[in-house]
Amino acid sequence: MSQPATVIPAPYRRSEFTRAWRRFRRYRPGLFGLCFILALVVMAAIPDLLSPHSHTQIFRGMRGAPPSWSHPLGFDHIGRDMLSRTIWGSRVALIVGLLATGISVAVGVTIGAASGYLGGRADATLSRLVDTLMAFPVLVLLITLSAVLGPSLVTVVVIIGVTGWAQYARVVRAEVLSLREREFSLAARAAGAGDARIIFRHILPNVMGPVIVLASLGIGGIIILESALSFLGLGVQPPTASWGGMLSDGRGFILIYPQIAIAPGVMISLTVLAFNLMGDGLRDALDPRQHDASLDR
Amino acid sequence: MSRERDLDQVLRELSPSTRREFLKRAAAMGITAAAAQAMIIKNPTIVTAGPSAKRGGTIRILSHQEVASLSPDDIGPTMQWNMITQIHNALVEVNDNFVIERVLASNYLASKDGLLYTFTLRQGVKFHDGSDFTAADVKYTFEYHMNPDNATIQGVLFKAVDKVETPDKYTVVVKMKEPNAAFLRQAATVFIVPARYHGRIGEKAYKAAPIGTGPFKLKEWRPAEFTVVEAFDQHFRGRPNADFFRQDVVPDPSVRAIALRTGTSDSSAWPLLSEDNLRFEAEPGYTVFRTSSLAVNHFPLNNDHPILSDKRVRQAMMHAIDRQRMIDDVFRGTAVIAHSIFPPALQYWYEKGVKQYPYSPDRARALLEEAGWRMGPGGVRVKDGTRLSFTCAVITGDRARRPQAEIAQQDLAGVGIEMRIVERPVATILSQLPKGELDASLFNWTYNAGGGEPDPSATLRVGAARNFSRFKNQRVEELLPAGLREVDPAKRKKIYSEVQKIVAEEVPFLHIMYWDWFIIFGRRIKGLPTSTQSGSTLIRDAYKWWIE
Amino acid sequence: MLRYLASRLMQGAVVILLVSIGTFSMMHFIPGDPVDLMVGEAQVTQEQLDMIRRKWGLDRPVHEQYLAWASNMARGDFGQSVIRTGVPVRTMIGEAAVVTAKLNLLAFFISIAIALPMGIAAAVRRYSGFDYAIMVSSTLGLALPNFWIGLMLIVLFSLLLGWLPPFGLPSWKGYIMPVAVIVANQTALLARMMRASTIEGMGEDYVRTARAKGLVERVVVSRHVVRNALLPVVTVIGYRISFLLSGTIVIENVFALPGLGQLFIESVNRVDYQVVQAIVLLLSVLVVLGNLITDMFYGYIDPRIRIG
Repeated sequence: MSQPATVIPAPYRRSEFTRAWRRFRRYRPGLFGLCFILALVVMAAIPDLLSPHSHTQIFRGMRGAPPSWSHPLGFDHIGRDMLSRTIWGSRVALIVGLLATGISVAVGVTIGAASGYLGGRADATLSRLVDTLMAFPVLVLLITLSAVLGPSLVTVVVIIGVTGWAQYARVVRAEVLSLREREFSLAARAAGAGDARIIFRHILPNVMGPVIVLASLGIGGIIILESALSFLGLGVQPPTASWGGMLSDGRGFILIYPQIAIAPGVMISLTVLAFNLMGDGLRDALDPRQHDASLDR
Repeated sequence: MSRERDLDQVLRELSPSTRREFLKRAAAMGITAAAAQAMIIKNPTIVTAGPSAKRGGTIRILSHQEVASLSPDDIGPTMQWNMITQIHNALVEVNDNFVIERVLASNYLASKDGLLYTFTLRQGVKFHDGSDFTAADVKYTFEYHMNPDNATIQGVLFKAVDKVETPDKYTVVVKMKEPNAAFLRQAATVFIVPARYHGRIGEKAYKAAPIGTGPFKLKEWRPAEFTVVEAFDQHFRGRPNADFFRQDVVPDPSVRAIALRTGTSDSSAWPLLSEDNLRFEAEPGYTVFRTSSLAVNHFPLNNDHPILSDKRVRQAMMHAIDRQRMIDDVFRGTAVIAHSIFPPALQYWYEKGVKQYPYSPDRARALLEEAGWRMGPGGVRVKDGTRLSFTCAVITGDRARRPQAEIAQQDLAGVGIEMRIVERPVATILSQLPKGELDASLFNWTYNAGGGEPDPSATLRVGAARNFSRFKNQRVEELLPAGLREVDPAKRKKIYSEVQKIVAEEVPFLHIMYWDWFIIFGRRIKGLPTSTQSGSTLIRDAYKWWIE
Repeated sequence: MLRYLASRLMQGAVVILLVSIGTFSMMHFIPGDPVDLMVGEAQVTQEQLDMIRRKWGLDRPVHEQYLAWASNMARGDFGQSVIRTGVPVRTMIGEAAVVTAKLNLLAFFISIAIALPMGIAAAVRRYSGFDYAIMVSSTLGLALPNFWIGLMLIVLFSLLLGWLPPFGLPSWKGYIMPVAVIVANQTALLARMMRASTIEGMGEDYVRTARAKGLVERVVVSRHVVRNALLPVVTVIGYRISFLLSGTIVIENVFALPGLGQLFIESVNRVDYQVVQAIVLLLSVLVVLGNLITDMFYGYIDPRIRIG
């Protein structure tokens, strides 16, 4: 079997990565985002070691008590340690953010690639589906689904994942459409490569750049979506600590016990900020054409 | 007693504001407030504009949810009742001290056997469209509810009614099929609609365009936003002091607190957060009414559930939950522990001698051991391979009560019971529970008929629509119908005492607490009563208030 | 062209039909119905509840209910809410939609006025301090949950300063805070988009040509870049047309605004089928039309996109 000329040799790939890294490094905020996310991953991995107290233990008579030395972020509305809950909350945020994005990417890339590569009827139908899903207000869909299925961590991940794939499908389809007609695909085809081989070997690797960028930007949106769902009472169920849920709890006490809403609010904002900044950096690094695909909603 | 008669005389001559002074003095003289109140009610004077009352202005109160209908048939939700009661009147109404007041009826007579009620109507009463209120309107309203084709919500209150007759324009005679002790407090308090108008436009249209005899008439209704009613000049008790009465919909309690503080609103008809309630109570300038709720805060349990059907498990849970801590930690102490299904506020019927469940994890453990539940892996008890675990469905978005569930979850885990918490829409909970499709839930519900009437048939009888715990007890099945047939209050009291004792022993649901019900008024509102035992009827008397 | 339009409309009709069936069956998967809520704590018997259900047709099989609903809908009758029983659903939606649309349109125009110049300026001075500031603040605008911003504004302007009403729409002042929150969010989104598409545009050949011709940078940007850079922005706005009526669910909740979002979430929680179905249907019609119009517009502007 002949090796198609367009396959990038390994050393070149590495230097591609180095060049991307160099470009990424240039965007300072992106670097900050990356560092913050790494810290978050550590937090989510070993919350029990990092948090000073149990995140579910209710301290008697400490409802809404302000910060102190042993409880630097104070207590929530039923007397649980805010710092510990904030640390544990990173787990739900990352689980929901990453898993839901993972589902979306998997579904979106498959459908987008199929749609773009197959063309014709299938493409028309799938595109219509994508258009509809993208234009359809996600929150409306989530609220209805969540009422039907009953809210839980699993439901939240699945419904966000299953409803959020359209943007990936659209980007992938567009890329595939243009790549399909590019020289290297034609060359591969001429060399006798099958459809699957062309898609997986030649087209998808080229699509991954924009997808990664899109995904890193999408995670932030999903974390906000989770907090909005929790805010409306349709999110992760107690006693699991989730930032959205904590914020929703704190919302009612914003004037009396502001610390309940402040900590998770700040964490959500920072996390989303970090993912977005990293996404911006990644776009500079991986997708030099600078199409801000995350905004094609 | 001569002293009492003297007071009587004095009272009659007093204006509302001086009456309050009087009550204070009476208290100083060693007369209990309740006795003094009772004296005032004994002499129902028509009170509107006292000498110090001022005319004009808009009274603004806050609601937590929309006003979905203005028809007297839809008085279920309190916030709806707030507005409907401004527009309508009933023959008799129950006041905030559970005393029956004559309103559209100037007098009523009940026969000894409880089979005949004769109402003499007040003359010269006008509906908002200027037409006269007569016996025909009463007959129409009652018969509208009695007709099963209309499927009205209040139809059930008229089940014992046989016939409504109108011997003359201002007399209504109600003949009963069987005695019904709840008739006066329930059916006779149904708001009267104008026969001709309601008959012409129909119930559906009436919901949006009601016409009554009440002190205020409808001006503008935006269900999800606000409802405004305007003073009715020809109201039979005199024109209300304020020009307008307005209820705004503000779901968020902290936003309601701000509105009250900034003076944007005069009162929150639905309570705020405990902290805000207490702060307003401590602050001078605000008038705060703190009464005990009639509804018990409880965890309904499915009594047919394989685990929860065991009385010992239910009793163990009562012992396992630290209710005082729940009250202190979630409600800042603004609630009282529930011992009976009747609230202490229902003074006459309240039974103190029921079985009580002090907080004691040890007793809880002992009861569970006795029932055969042994400690298993993960700290959850096991019996015959079954884990002692159930699911509690709390109402979606219920921020007031979910913390309670979380505390109970921890308390129950302490004795080896696993309670999972899920959220479900309220409509789902209300319809699934009585069918036994949920294990447990958490909300407040009134286990009496309201208005000082104790009958809990709608909630405790087998097959009842609101029997959330699927409670069935042979003795209670006998007692409740007997209680309704009995018209002698003293004999009734015995019946309902026994019911309370049985329920406390059986614990079909975990009765947790009675919330203190706060109604807060801002600085501008004057003409409020000195005290009240039930907050829910307070708003009804808005026509007596004035703005300063 | 006409054939294309016809086929697109057909597809749209199919989408709407599927959405309506989907919503209907989802709503009926939720156990319970609004009757229990409507009755509240009134003393009722089971028999009576059944009677009320019969009156509202809730005892009939689901498919029958669907057909009845769909045929009413086709005749323009949106049906009757089982909660707000005296008001037709059409009126309910009409009242609520006006509130939401007003909020959104107001916010939309303000956002455009702020975001577009901001995005262009940031793109022109890429990697400058100004660009960083715009990017970070716009990222922040997207990162801060809007109910959080809303609450902070209430604390500041209603409680501490006492300038603005904390809730509702008593006067034009009531619009300020909710609109500000939406603007913060939208501006962030649009500014980023405008920046991105301007940067993309500046790399195009014809821009380089224009520059090579010796045109002043300002003219290059305003004549050549911005005009093309607006295209994706317009597209996105078109695709998001349904958000005009649904984008503010959470904001309406915070500020107690009687808009469509608030009506929707309440109706879902109350299992008020008719209202939920009508709102979803309305949204899906908007989605289909918005997509169609945008595609046609796009095809008209940019002939590279083949239609059909």
